[in-house]
Amino acid sequence: MFNSTGNNFGAGQISFKDYQAENYVVLNSKFSFDPTNADYQACEQLEIYVPDLSIDRSAVGAVFIRFVEDQHWSWGDSVYDGGSILKSWVKDKNTIVIEKQPWFDQNGPLIIYILTLYPQLNQGVNTIKGTQQRLTVTTEGDYLRFGYETFVVVFEHWAFIHMLISGCTYAYRESLWEATLEELPADITADVPICGGGNQFHPECDGMAEAHIENRVFSNQRRVMGFWDTGHDPFVYAFLVRDNNA
Amino acid sequence: MIALPSIAFEGFSGSAKGVTARRVGGRNILSVKSRPTGATTNAQVVRRASMSKISKSWKQLTNEQMREWDRLAEHTSGQSAFGQKAELTGMNLYIRLNVNRAMAGEALLSTAPESTVAVPNVEYTQIAVTPELVAITGIKHQASPYKLVVKMSAGQSAGISNGWSKTVIITPGIEDDWGEADVTTLYLKTIGVEPVPGQKVFVESYWMDTSTGFAGQPVQDSVIVTGEAPHGQRVKVTMNNLDPTEENNVSAIDVDFSTGAPVAQFNAVCLGHSNVASSIVHLDRELPAEVIGTGICLGRSNGPDGKIVAQSYMVWVRNYYGKADMTFAHRGGYYVANTECFGAGVMY
Repeated sequence: MFNSTGNNFGAGQISFKDYQAENYVVLNSKFSFDPTNADYQACEQLEIYVPDLSIDRSAVGAVFIRFVEDQHWSWGDSVYDGGSILKSWVKDKNTIVIEKQPWFDQNGPLIIYILTLYPQLNQGVNTIKGTQQRLTVTTEGDYLRFGYETFVVVFEHWAFIHMLISGCTYAYRESLWEATLEELPADITADVPICGGGNQFHPECDGMAEAHIENRVFSNQRRVMGFWDTGHDPFVYAFLVRDNNA
Repeated sequence: MIALPSIAFEGFSGSAKGVTARRVGGRNILSVKSRPTGATTNAQVVRRASMSKISKSWKQLTNEQMREWDRLAEHTSGQSAFGQKAELTGMNLYIRLNVNRAMAGEALLSTAPESTVAVPNVEYTQIAVTPELVAITGIKHQASPYKLVVKMSAGQSAGISNGWSKTVIITPGIEDDWGEADVTTLYLKTIGVEPVPGQKVFVESYWMDTSTGFAGQPVQDSVIVTGEAPHGQRVKVTMNNLDPTEENNVSAIDVDFSTGAPVAQFNAVCLGHSNVASSIVHLDRELPAEVIGTGICLGRSNGPDGKIVAQSYMVWVRNYYGKADMTFAHRGGYYVANTECFGAGVMY
């Protein structure tokens, strides 16, 4: 783990979980910032300053950006959280860059999730393939269902997870979900966005919820109003650092 | 060009019968008017035009700006063929640096840089020249604002030992692509003919600081053209590798398998096809067996409707009847045909 030494968009100190190899780094972080602050408005791109990384530049990766929005109606409250992905890269040993987009500046504070592997290119060796494992997701009463391409690829110091949430028993649609991810290593703790679900107030970006993963348990309570809209298939995509890195 | 050997020639100046006598920095110099040996290249035309424009713009500077250029010129030496540094005026320096900057696509610099800055030398491991490939590899990367300038000659007789005067600018300023500068297209565009195996190509390269226009010391090299590209070429897929006889559903693609890590680097602007939530590209060749498989990446829609929806895509890479194809198949999120896929994705 390490902490940022600064940033140019007024976010305060940012903590990272990390795995740093010679030619790539995997970083996990979640932080928020206020898009109305002067630093953010003055910057051209978001820069996070960090202690020396193992790599001095990287190819472009993706990080998630999310906003939280509630609407209050006579019949109750509804959730219209949304978000998208932003380009991000390691600019030099001490700077992580995130592209600045104005899309959600009116919806702050905004949350960034870095669940990203930053690779280098032209390393003289081709891509090293991993072993895909179908992820068995179990719930008490089997109330959640997942798509075929729900899987993990596990490495010694990190894991990749992709989940496609395809269905839920009606009685559990508003409940707290707690599902066990059988093949995921137990030494992973992270907040991960669930992208997708229809968003009536923000159809340009769709919904984005947040789930927590800890000790193989995937939990989520707050979901966008159109979570089950047909064709807006909610998914999780994350490179997750294991807690076995000294 | 020769320096006069005797004080007897002191005071000569002017031209007669193609010979010009002049006095520069306390030295007398006779030179024979040289004539270009080849046709003028497009790059030369552009460079001469920009030089003329820049020269004229000197007069538009303020007196203070001119003084700043003069001050900087006092600390900057020009090149000389005689081991004695030539003197530069502020105007000379203004033109020289701005011509360099113009070549790299930078705007005119009216205010002189605060000081001269040492520009690093180009370091690389290999220059490969074949009829199909002209590339410098193993370049030690220099971050922005440095850009690489490469000058190359057309193929010369292998017996020629000094042909750097025949080099012309191939790249007016490029960034290396992860230690590689593939200048094949630029070489063919500038020189006009493919290199012929057995011939010798002269190469000169230097870094240019595009923020100031200062250039580093040129590194001179020569290479014999070979018939085949060296082994161990980087495995990547770009628009240049697509089979033009097939329908390809991307407007841009750059998928790189050279990570040496458990991921491939995906970049593609998918367009979709035939009401199927996927895009396919056909390559003009097979891919190495070790990169055949399934990958996954994120996408963000970027169509004219303004959607910015996050999606996930499976990427199937396969060889098929002597060629390869790659399918970006939508999985998570709301499908939008116009989507930019980017970032690292595992492969299995």
